[in-house]
Amino acid sequence: MSMKIIECFFYRREKPYRAVVLEARLEQANLLKKVVDAIKDLVQDCNFDCNDSGVALQAMDNSHVALVSMMLKAESFSPFRCDRNIALGINLTSLMKVLRCAQNEDILTLKAEDAPDVVNLVFESSESDRLSEYDIKLMDIDQEHLGIPETEYAATITMPSAEFQKICRDLIALSESVAIEATKDGVKFSCSGDIGNGAVTLRSHTNVEKPDQNVEIALSEPVALTFSLKYLVNFCKASGLSGTVKLCLSNEVPLLVEYGLASNSYLRFYLAPKIGDEE
Amino acid sequence: MPVATLPPPKRALADSTKAHRNVNPTIPSPNTAKRRKIEVGSSPSKRLKLSQNSLKNGSSQPKSQFEEEYLEKLTQDISGLKQQNSEKDQQWDRPNLHDFDEERDSLCFQQIEAEEGTLHGGRTTVKLFGVTETGHSVLLHVTDFLHYLYVAAPVNFVKTDIDGFKAYLETQLAQHQPVIHSVQMSMRENLFGFQGNQKSPYLKITVTDPKYINKLRTTIEGGNMNYKQMWKGVDGGILTFDSIQYVLRFMIDTGVTGMSWVEAPQSKYHMIPHRDRHSNCQIEAYVHYRDLTAHHNEGEWAKMAPLRILSFDIECAGRKGVFPEANQDPVIQIANVVTRYGEPKPFVRNVFCLDTCSLIVNTQIFEFGAEDKMLMAWRDFLEQVDPDVIIGYNIANFDFPYLLDRAKHLKCTKFPYWTRLKSIQSHAKETNFSSKQMGNRDTKATNTNGRLQLDLLQLIQRDHQLRSYTLNSVCSHFLGEQKEDVHHTMITELFNGTPESRRRLAVYCLKDAFLPQRLMDKLMCLVNYTEMARVTGVPFNFLLARGQQVKFISQLFRKALEQNLVIPNLRSDASDEQYEGATVIEPTRGYYDVPIATLDFASLYPSIIQAHNLCYTTLLNKASVEKLNLVKDEDYIVTPNGDMFCTSKIRKGLLTQILEELLGARKRAKKELAVETDSFKKAVLNGRQLALKISANSVYGITGATVGKLPCLAIASSTTSYGRQMIEKTKEEVEKRYTIANGYSHDAQVIYGDTDSVMVKFGPKDLEKAMDLGRDAATYVSDKFIKPIKLEFEKVYFPYLLINKKRYAGLYWTTPEKFDKMDSKGIETVRRDNCRLVQNVIETILHKILIDQDVQGAQDYVKDTISDLLQNKIDMSKLVITKALSKSDYANKQAHVELADRMKKRDAGSAPTLGDRVAYVIVKGAGGAKNYERSEDPIFVLENNIPIDTKYYLDNQLAKPLGRIFDPILGEKKAGQLLTGEHTRSISVAAPTLGGLMKFAKKTQTCMGCKKPLVGKEEMAGAVCSNCRPRTGELYTKTLTKVSELEIRFGRLWTQCQRCQGSLHNEVICSSKDCPIFYMRMKAKKDVEDAGKELTRFDFDAGAAW
Repeated sequence: MSMKIIECFFYRREKPYRAVVLEARLEQANLLKKVVDAIKDLVQDCNFDCNDSGVALQAMDNSHVALVSMMLKAESFSPFRCDRNIALGINLTSLMKVLRCAQNEDILTLKAEDAPDVVNLVFESSESDRLSEYDIKLMDIDQEHLGIPETEYAATITMPSAEFQKICRDLIALSESVAIEATKDGVKFSCSGDIGNGAVTLRSHTNVEKPDQNVEIALSEPVALTFSLKYLVNFCKASGLSGTVKLCLSNEVPLLVEYGLASNSYLRFYLAPKIGDEE
Repeated sequence: MPVATLPPPKRALADSTKAHRNVNPTIPSPNTAKRRKIEVGSSPSKRLKLSQNSLKNGSSQPKSQFEEEYLEKLTQDISGLKQQNSEKDQQWDRPNLHDFDEERDSLCFQQIEAEEGTLHGGRTTVKLFGVTETGHSVLLHVTDFLHYLYVAAPVNFVKTDIDGFKAYLETQLAQHQPVIHSVQMSMRENLFGFQGNQKSPYLKITVTDPKYINKLRTTIEGGNMNYKQMWKGVDGGILTFDSIQYVLRFMIDTGVTGMSWVEAPQSKYHMIPHRDRHSNCQIEAYVHYRDLTAHHNEGEWAKMAPLRILSFDIECAGRKGVFPEANQDPVIQIANVVTRYGEPKPFVRNVFCLDTCSLIVNTQIFEFGAEDKMLMAWRDFLEQVDPDVIIGYNIANFDFPYLLDRAKHLKCTKFPYWTRLKSIQSHAKETNFSSKQMGNRDTKATNTNGRLQLDLLQLIQRDHQLRSYTLNSVCSHFLGEQKEDVHHTMITELFNGTPESRRRLAVYCLKDAFLPQRLMDKLMCLVNYTEMARVTGVPFNFLLARGQQVKFISQLFRKALEQNLVIPNLRSDASDEQYEGATVIEPTRGYYDVPIATLDFASLYPSIIQAHNLCYTTLLNKASVEKLNLVKDEDYIVTPNGDMFCTSKIRKGLLTQILEELLGARKRAKKELAVETDSFKKAVLNGRQLALKISANSVYGITGATVGKLPCLAIASSTTSYGRQMIEKTKEEVEKRYTIANGYSHDAQVIYGDTDSVMVKFGPKDLEKAMDLGRDAATYVSDKFIKPIKLEFEKVYFPYLLINKKRYAGLYWTTPEKFDKMDSKGIETVRRDNCRLVQNVIETILHKILIDQDVQGAQDYVKDTISDLLQNKIDMSKLVITKALSKSDYANKQAHVELADRMKKRDAGSAPTLGDRVAYVIVKGAGGAKNYERSEDPIFVLENNIPIDTKYYLDNQLAKPLGRIFDPILGEKKAGQLLTGEHTRSISVAAPTLGGLMKFAKKTQTCMGCKKPLVGKEEMAGAVCSNCRPRTGELYTKTLTKVSELEIRFGRLWTQCQRCQGSLHNEVICSSKDCPIFYMRMKAKKDVEDAGKELTRFDFDAGAAW
């Protein structure tokens, strides 16, 4: 490993000097690893937009049914410095390969120069004094920027992320799609398939000892929508990031699945509802 | 930045593939004053910014190129035409008959069609239709020819049994009239198997009417004819001989071949009075068949009669989204062009139009108020102009049936008489044609007795492998010119417009009628097919309507007749028995930068058959060998396959004789061709030598066709086994002789061999030396084989890229000075099931590698292309894949089939139907979606901006062919880098206007400088972020340049299409899916629109306002 570092060192020195404009230090490399792991099946290549408020990522999956929106606020890093707005085009498969090299507890530092060719990742192990350094070649991704406007949702459900994951995994065994019905009595996930049908109903529930296990339902009017389970199962890969998940629904509006992270950072997924008999 | 930098005024873009704007009156132009003046009732369209001044009172239609080039030139030629043409311009009638005297003249004409008919109340005749040298049409009834068959006579059958046998046959057949005309005994020989050169008695049974022949044959073969149980040892049926159609029998026995000249001497034929005539031919007569002379197609009689060729095209007014249906949509125009064979210019050009239509130069326009009147007038025209050949594009499956159905719907009962026979109606029949060569085809056949039909579409589909068979692409392929492709829905709009727009349609229609004629001239189909008919002896019609076999059968029967052989009527049991085909020497793959000599066996299979005397008549079996006491290798040979044939010393095979004649005739034709100067005679001779070559090569094929009439696997498999042996032997001999040990500079190596050729690497770098060695080797090896087998040195490949079996490319040299061409086999350049991009890339890199010998340049080119592909910069037309929708239920789901289904759901009218070629591109889909789920209509993709799956094109289309080419040159590792290097890191992701989320998503503009999303209130509508504000000027200029570049590009493409449609003033209405420019133009239009939108962002930019 030491050889590698020296190599990198020489390599860097030979290049003409360019100011480092982005430097972001993440206490736990694991966070980024989990985030990338959760979205890499939806998106292959995308831009990480970095500015002084943090690192953001927004991309649609190929079939344009789902949208991933990630925001890592500056506060999630310590320290965080970004002098100019830069977009880092990264192939997520390559990024994942590099992130796998990091131990969970490693400290990760992202670095990039002005008008960069590569993004530099440094993993520091707090236990041993190991320092590993990787460069990923950047891609120039010409991509349109799409966003979902903020809406007032008719129903907001907060529940343990593991619970949501279990429901999705159970139901996909039966059918491709799930109907989510939120009423004042509770929220019902139901599906019907060739072999039969199934439904899971959750009611508001407060666990004093473990606030993580709370199920909260805030409702202004009843909502009933159908979604593709394939995508929901995909979203659930982010369960490791947060103990709770927030589902926001309104009729004829995409579902918002949000995994909240520390210091207001978040990972959000939007999913278009299935309408009529559309496949 | 000053206000002056505001975006340029909006430019209106018009593309009218869908819009109905194009029925707008056309732009007036002053240059055609000589045409009919029409009222200026039409106002110029708003979007045209041409000067209003040109709107003079004499507005007329702008000329198209087609009119200028063809029609107006005719004006200049007209004077010439008047003097030289034997036909008067626009004069429909045939030359009158006053110079013909039946007392004095013999009746000599080129017969073009023969069919069975009756005369004088039921006597069967053969009707010969034809044209005399002076251009008169003739129908000659040939009487008294009777059909017959043979059966082998039993051993104890004697002459006195004949009468009894005849009576017995009559009773067994039990018809009301006498069936058997006569029974004769004659000495004949069975074709199949060597008979020891001995003839045996056969019974020739002649019937009174050919219609009884099948009844007779089935009764005999069914076993109901065993007179006095004389045929012993046969349980059921008795084998019959000489099973062939009546008309062919007649032609064979009289020596008449298809399209040959026949003569009825004066006073031997009898004219038929007008009231008794069957036809509307100018001369109708009858003659006894023995009085008919058939001229051999040599010398003087190789000429062609002045046939009249009608080429026509119809237009129908369809409804939106539905292909025209005869019971609803009217025929609105019929364009006709009539040419006399041998003359360059048509003498009749006219258009029959519904409603009014402005004049077209040098063309007659006939306007009709009602459709039925028009149809009837056209029929009368057809009868009057009396064409011998009717040609067109897809007339067999569309024009003919449509006209017939339409007339039926309009109750024009007198319409469907297009034949030369007064009493015969034309009907469209469904036929199914299937052969190994062309697969299954459902076609319609319309009878036009006495007139030949050539549907250029069928002809080209049969003889040429093309990407697409639309008239447009066929023309661009063979004639090097495009025509506009007007979608059928457009036609209605043009028709509903003004006389001017109908004129435009008429010009279009006329051009469609002209093109088949020009294609036919260019491809020389008529001549080539005529020669094929003459060589093989079958009627012209058979060549198109029937398969390969009938040609060979006809030749075989002719030859057999000469030698008193009879051909058994073998029941074909479709066995799946396979025999081993040709051999392929395992290729030594690689890139060779030394000359590779190619040694070919000249017509390998025919020469094997000749050399070893393989034939039906020489086939032996163990029993016959013992019976006849033959000596091995002396009297008979055993083929490597284990079959036995007697040598030419014992008996010369019939096939050998046929082949000798064919090849000899070909040699003669080639010799004559070399000295002939007259271009028409040259065409005839060339057609003949081609026909002879094809016939010679098909002999082998017939013996191997197990479902055929005369399959003989012993011959077929022996032929291939000899072929295999010879290839192996050649390899052995060459590698044995050309060695360093024998004093040559290198050891020769055979690197590849296939069927009839071997590729030899002799070693020397020098071209000339390699050629000398090649020539030397060819003569050396030829000596080792029996005559006439000959190994020829033909060419040298240098450099040579051998990729795999049947896949190679190289520069083709026949002289050491200059290479002839680049030759590539089995490489993606010629295949049709991939996109044009692959073809272009492969062609270019082959060019770079082989001709420029610049491997690095080829690699760079590949990298650039891949990079462009990933950034969506490749034109979509290059990514379109087309596949024919040949049947509706495939076992596996296929991209084009699935797409056709989806398109049907979207819009049933424009969706491709069975037989159409479906164009599609692969788009990005959800993870794990199958390819067939991701195919999409290119137009739909353009309209909705759906992202193309560039990765698919890279991995599934380009990767393999590139790997195949570069692996042998660079090695696998380096070749792999071509697909993954630095150049693949810049990509572009398009945002579609379709998809589940797109209804909700809002596009956030990004900064043009640094791609940062613009979210601030200030920046939102603008172009750049606050950081990039100093660069506004630079970015604006950049965008502006981009817009103008795109505009220029669009303008160019638009003009290109206008050129192609032949008028620079009319709007482009073409929507040809095969034309790369069409997609380019659509894309360019969209690009300009998008870029224009980008540009307007500067209007709102906070930074630009200072």
